[in-house]
Amino acid sequence: MIFWEIAKRNIRIHMLRSTLAMLGIVIGVVAIASMGILGNSMVATVSESLSSVGDSVIVTPYAGGGGGMGPGGGSSGSSSASLKLTDQNYQQIKRVSAPNTAIPVYSTSDHMKIGVGSDDIVASIYGLPSEDVPDLMKLEAGDYNNGNSGCLVGSTFAKDHDLKVGSRISIGNDGSKGTLRVTGIIEERGMSFDISTDNALVVTDEWFEDTYNRNKDYDEVVVKVKDGDTATVKTNIEKQLNKHKDNKIVSVTDSKATLNSIYATFGTITTFVSAIGGISMIVAGVSIFNIMMMSVNERIKEIGIMRSIGTQKKEVMSMFIYEAAIIGVIGSIIGGLFSILAGYVVSALMLGSTKYLVTAANALSVTEGILFGIIICLACGIYPAWQAANLNPIDALRHE
Amino acid sequence: MEPVIQFEDVVKIYPLKAGDVTALDHISFSVERGEFISIMGPSGSGKSTLLTLMGCLDTPTSGNIFMSGIPIRNMSDVDLTNLRRDRIGFIFQYFNLFPLLNIIENVSFPQMLKSGHGVDEDKAREVLRAVQLDERLFTHTPLELSGGQQQRVAVARALINDPDILLCDEPTGNLDSKTGASIMELMTELNRKGSTIIVVTHDPNVANYTSRTIRIVDGCIAS
Repeated sequence: MIFWEIAKRNIRIHMLRSTLAMLGIVIGVVAIASMGILGNSMVATVSESLSSVGDSVIVTPYAGGGGGMGPGGGSSGSSSASLKLTDQNYQQIKRVSAPNTAIPVYSTSDHMKIGVGSDDIVASIYGLPSEDVPDLMKLEAGDYNNGNSGCLVGSTFAKDHDLKVGSRISIGNDGSKGTLRVTGIIEERGMSFDISTDNALVVTDEWFEDTYNRNKDYDEVVVKVKDGDTATVKTNIEKQLNKHKDNKIVSVTDSKATLNSIYATFGTITTFVSAIGGISMIVAGVSIFNIMMMSVNERIKEIGIMRSIGTQKKEVMSMFIYEAAIIGVIGSIIGGLFSILAGYVVSALMLGSTKYLVTAANALSVTEGILFGIIICLACGIYPAWQAANLNPIDALRHE
Repeated sequence: MEPVIQFEDVVKIYPLKAGDVTALDHISFSVERGEFISIMGPSGSGKSTLLTLMGCLDTPTSGNIFMSGIPIRNMSDVDLTNLRRDRIGFIFQYFNLFPLLNIIENVSFPQMLKSGHGVDEDKAREVLRAVQLDERLFTHTPLELSGGQQQRVAVARALINDPDILLCDEPTGNLDSKTGASIMELMTELNRKGSTIIVVTHDPNVANYTSRTIRIVDGCIAS
């Protein structure tokens, strides 16, 4: 149609002006989409660290207040460290959680030395039933069968202290609590809600009980939920063990609910950051509005001629809307392409990884950025187009 | 046969802050099909107002205007626009061609509005030949043409939809006398072939080409 052609030619003869307007849209789309890509990549990175613990329910002794996370490995000395779960508590948890696996966990921290003459260090030690260890963690080297004098070590711990399968670690001051041989290196687990093994040792529950004089008084119980319904398991445990409101025995943490809460927080951060990027889009929109108003003012006489020879208001309006749409579509698509590049750079610099660049969420962020750019351009073109269409043809014809 | 244009006791008042201005005061006249009329009068006499009313760009304050028998007073903007597109051809003093379009596209513009389709190049070429424009200029842009050539293109654009009437506002006002004379000869030729033409002018030489002159003074027809 002729109005489409006129819009194209008008953009072409005002190439510099149109290019600057497009540049504004490009910057706006890049700001929004690349922030979206960064947010999505952050969520994906965190998900990778946490997803393996999203099927756990963690039960710890009730310490008053709002319950909360398990004691982890570094709880000795804290007031809650003296609180333990009894074997009866464990058996109740095991019964109501069936057929899921309930794993009793001992934890402490202790001095240790690696090799003769090395520095004394302090690290977390977890005691677990040998048969349950494969349910909680995977190994990158060695095997689970560590026996009573063997132990597994976390990947970071192994790396920091140059440990290999077969290395020996003396536990306690001057090795007073014996020596353990490394039988396996645990795969990196990242952040977790149950036990943090990356910087810790994992030993058998028998060794732990013998060494630290413990007798089935556990620091926490981790329930690995097979069907993913962690909420039901949590409710069942609370019903069974916290029958009396005034006498709660355990705090129960649903790791999936915690994960979802973390994801929601990241989602909010992503939206917020993208909204900040949106400010540049608003600035670009103001620039489009300005350019469209200039275009209308420069062409008042032309509009008057068009109207006098039989052009309808809606046709005049369409000509200016086409102009805004061309700037919007071209600027937004270029912005979308650049935002992939910007997302790559920002992810590489801030997260140190670009492996989550090609995802459906990022494609959606780029698409949203492009659509937002086009919508802003059209919205900013509507008023100038409406004004052009509603010019009095007589006044417009007389305009010099 | 119905007159092409009929004014019946037409009054046009412009309400202004300083007081109402009566531009046309109880004017009645009619233009028959095939007439070639000039409208003359001093500045501020109401010529331009008369032209805008004849061109359906405005409606009267009172009285009636009929275009080929159709009353325009209560027409909507959409209907008035369609009437301008289908029944009226405008020719302006400053040619008023679209600089972004070439000659063929300029001439085809009203026809594209009417048909909703693209350029009908054959029809545009036919009309351009009728106004005796050099065929080599058909793909040029208006700014590459002389004033006389541009006015021929404007005439072609006005003729493309076979209008009932051609309204010309000082068609030679921006041309030298020789080119102006050739444009008026073209108008005469078109009138001879059946076109109804109304020319608003200050120039008595232009009025000499027409068969009737309406003189306007202070918003009233003087003769």
